Amino acid sequence: MLQALFSHIDYVAVTVLFCAGLYIMIARGNLLKKVIGLNIMETAVFAFIVTTGMIDGGDPPLLEQGLGPDFASPLPHALVLTGIVVAVSVTAVALALIVRVKREHGTIEFDELGEPR
Amino acid sequence: MRALAAFADWPHLLPALFLLPLAGAALLPALLRTRPAVAWASALAVALATTMLAVLALVRLLGDGDYGYAMAGWAPPLGIELRYDRLSAITLLTGALVSLALLFARREMTGAGRRQAVLYCSLVLILLGGMNGFVITADLFNLFVFMELLSLPAYALVAMSPARGAALAALKYLLPGAVSSLLVLFGIGVLHALTGSLNMADVAVRLTPGGPSPATVLALVLISVGLLVKAALFPLHFWLPDAHSAAPGPVSALLSGLVVKMGVVGVVRMFDVFGPALGGAMQAFENLLLILGVLAILTGALAALVQHELKRMLAWSTVANIGYIFVGLGLAGSAAVSGGIAHVFYHGLTKAGLFLAAAALVERTGLHDIDDLRGLGHRMPLAATALSAGLIAVAGVPPTAGFVGKWQIALGALEAGRPELLVVVLGGALLALAYGMRVINALFFRAPVSDQVVTASEAPASMLVPSVLLVALALAGGLSGARVIEFILPFAESLGGR
Repeated sequence: MLQALFSHIDYVAVTVLFCAGLYIMIARGNLLKKVIGLNIMETAVFAFIVTTGMIDGGDPPLLEQGLGPDFASPLPHALVLTGIVVAVSVTAVALALIVRVKREHGTIEFDELGEPR
Repeated sequence: MRALAAFADWPHLLPALFLLPLAGAALLPALLRTRPAVAWASALAVALATTMLAVLALVRLLGDGDYGYAMAGWAPPLGIELRYDRLSAITLLTGALVSLALLFARREMTGAGRRQAVLYCSLVLILLGGMNGFVITADLFNLFVFMELLSLPAYALVAMSPARGAALAALKYLLPGAVSSLLVLFGIGVLHALTGSLNMADVAVRLTPGGPSPATVLALVLISVGLLVKAALFPLHFWLPDAHSAAPGPVSALLSGLVVKMGVVGVVRMFDVFGPALGGAMQAFENLLLILGVLAILTGALAALVQHELKRMLAWSTVANIGYIFVGLGLAGSAAVSGGIAHVFYHGLTKAGLFLAAAALVERTGLHDIDDLRGLGHRMPLAATALSAGLIAVAGVPPTAGFVGKWQIALGALEAGRPELLVVVLGGALLALAYGMRVINALFFRAPVSDQVVTASEAPASMLVPSVLLVALALAGGLSGARVIEFILPFAESLGGR
């Protein structure tokens, strides 16, 4: 059990990071912190996808250098790059909305948000 | 018909289905400064052309059966594959029709200037492009990208309402939406790590030898929780009533009619991906969907019954109807599944029409509560009639649109030997009739109580035409229910490799 945990230390780290982000999302009342929690979760998922392309002792996937029998998969990087673009756009929209919430309600603490002023 | 078939053989039909609205959306803001009036006409033209493409794709499907397209010539499973089947056909057509109707209502972006009207059209087109891509893609990562492409404009559209508090409503919609997207991406990452592939059919084949391993189950849990948040299935519906009632009228129609249905489509796709590998374990998943669907019908209908606000009531009715769809999917017999998918189609049309009619009533008077709207039926007869007809259709009074899906689901329940579910199906319909009657009674048979009602005049044509058309389409669609069911049955029979 412990052996398995150590050999997949990356998965453990990713899970911890994901849960930390989710906790911040749920437990924190500040809208900005919620968005930061979201970003932490995103980072966790991206890190997970990148690590799945890795092979221990594998070559980098560069054709000019000649490929050995084992080489890292380049596809996850392309996926994560797309994912980052999507995540940045979502964050941008969220931040713009938070600015408007602040203007309309005078606060960005979830508990203090009542009726708009 | 033969001329149509010739056009339908155009090889790049499938990518054009989402590239056309996306390109249109990107070009529209360029017209913003110089010719705002032209912008609306070109948005309509783009949506109309997309609808035509959807019809052409359907014609080809009827001739050749399901067909695929390899993006940029890379053969699947390496390249991205688009696949057009009967589920894509029916959701594409719903999406195109509803978007077309909603572009008409652009002036009702409440007090919006021309600038906002153009942005509205542009966002609706992006959403349409995202939906079209979502329902025809056969690639998991592509599915995620299109899901985000349709979610982002949805968040922005909720925030477009000039009313105060709209930004908060949009944010309350964005945060669960973004988390659910991440869960889906996480699940897709797990699947890719397990199989090294992203093509849905290929993933399904490669998963099968592993059987129901914990990692496969984890992937299913992550992806389905994510998609069920999008589909707003009880108890993941918590964001829906706020978002759908705070949004401007046409936007609520779009969200309730179409966007939540995309979550349903995603879940149906997952049946095909996980079905062969999970086998018996899939049954547990189907049972869970069934139970949640039953709970959704009951909570949605009961909550709708006690709402004071008209739009909030309609939003809760969406929660109940999503429950019906998942009862159909959870029963897993071909009759029930075809009923669930038919309900996606009919509920999409009806609920969009309902929200438009409700928006017309609410925005002409500035009153939100059902009790305040008393007597409005005599001042705004067309809009009130559209709303009433829609409510009756949503309740599923035969032979209206809501009846087809519910009847099939009830048949499916009998087929599966679960007659106790009939109580839920019927009970939900009766509750729906009850809250519908409450609104109809207030509109037509009670004396007005507020000045705004007495001085109100009929809604503008830009709002009436689409809502009346959508409701009429829903009513007429109910009459041809047998053909729709017949169309979906082959898909329902092949679902999940059964």
